[in-house]
Amino acid sequence: MSKALFDLMARLADNKYYLGRRYAEWCSSAPTLEASVAAAAMAQDELGHARALYPLLRTLAPKAGVALDAEIEPETRTQFFTMMALSEPFVGWPDFVAANLLIDSALTQIFVAAQTSSYEPLEGRSRKVLQEERAHNVYGAGWAKRLAREGGPIKAAIEAALRRIWDETLCWFGPEGLDTQSDPLASTGTLDATPDELRARWLAEVGPTLVAAGLALPLRQNATTGAWELTESLPWDRWDADRYRLRALTPTTGSAS
Amino acid sequence: MTKHAATKTSPAQTGQTGQPAKQHKRLGTERVWLVLARRAYDEPLRQIGTVEADDGDLAGVYARSIYDEFAWIEMAVVPRDALLTVIGA
Repeated sequence: MSKALFDLMARLADNKYYLGRRYAEWCSSAPTLEASVAAAAMAQDELGHARALYPLLRTLAPKAGVALDAEIEPETRTQFFTMMALSEPFVGWPDFVAANLLIDSALTQIFVAAQTSSYEPLEGRSRKVLQEERAHNVYGAGWAKRLAREGGPIKAAIEAALRRIWDETLCWFGPEGLDTQSDPLASTGTLDATPDELRARWLAEVGPTLVAAGLALPLRQNATTGAWELTESLPWDRWDADRYRLRALTPTTGSAS
Repeated sequence: MTKHAATKTSPAQTGQTGQPAKQHKRLGTERVWLVLARRAYDEPLRQIGTVEADDGDLAGVYARSIYDEFAWIEMAVVPRDALLTVIGA
């Protein structure tokens, strides 16, 4: 359990740290002045959340068997639990919007599931994080709808950007098929949901926005149950469980590297 | 306000080449929102600026991040085209 909790906090902190850095790279270059200033504010939020999480690693490290101080601080860490999608700068504005809409909201789902966490430091931080993340959700949904409304190559660009990070974001919640007893985070009350439940909650949040914008992603709403479902299976053969990220496809063979 | 295209290259790429940005199709026109705020209960709401946004929610996000110089007790946004001119010189 201690290692599972350490890993959860590390991947939350690392992904927020890198998301903040990626946002910051666009804080003077977004399509409008307003969007640039808001991007700067979101970058500050994300880096602040990471800064609030990293100190927890130090207290969790001994029980998790992590002995190296250098692997605690973001400045000296050598192995980050960062999604592949955040490991390189965004190529264009659609990548920013896609990460804002999908990855940012996926990270937020963890804090939603930690509002009654048995790990008190996470429970306490969740309230503040969720308060600030409301604006991020509005921003991502607003820009996704706007780019989709432009149609033509701009809509195609945002669809492609969303599609590129779709699978990794969904896999990031954790392995399929774990029940409450077998999931180390749900069974200890760290989170109030299993990975499958987190995925379902996230789909229910982003699904309406994507469909309303007319963006073609592999999901649908079940007409009978109302639940949002994937229409394509996830590429678990490419999932790197140790680093919590998808392995990249090699361009020539299409196989995982 | 200068607007750029949604599909432009990254800031790093633009800076490295030193070339002027290519002209792309402008994104659709946004609505202008007046931003009103006050710092104390005995003050009236007054206009402190404007933002351009597609909807009120996004306008609110923009207003909060741009006009954050004071600890406002109230801030509101209203679409400029909702104002009815009574006297116009």
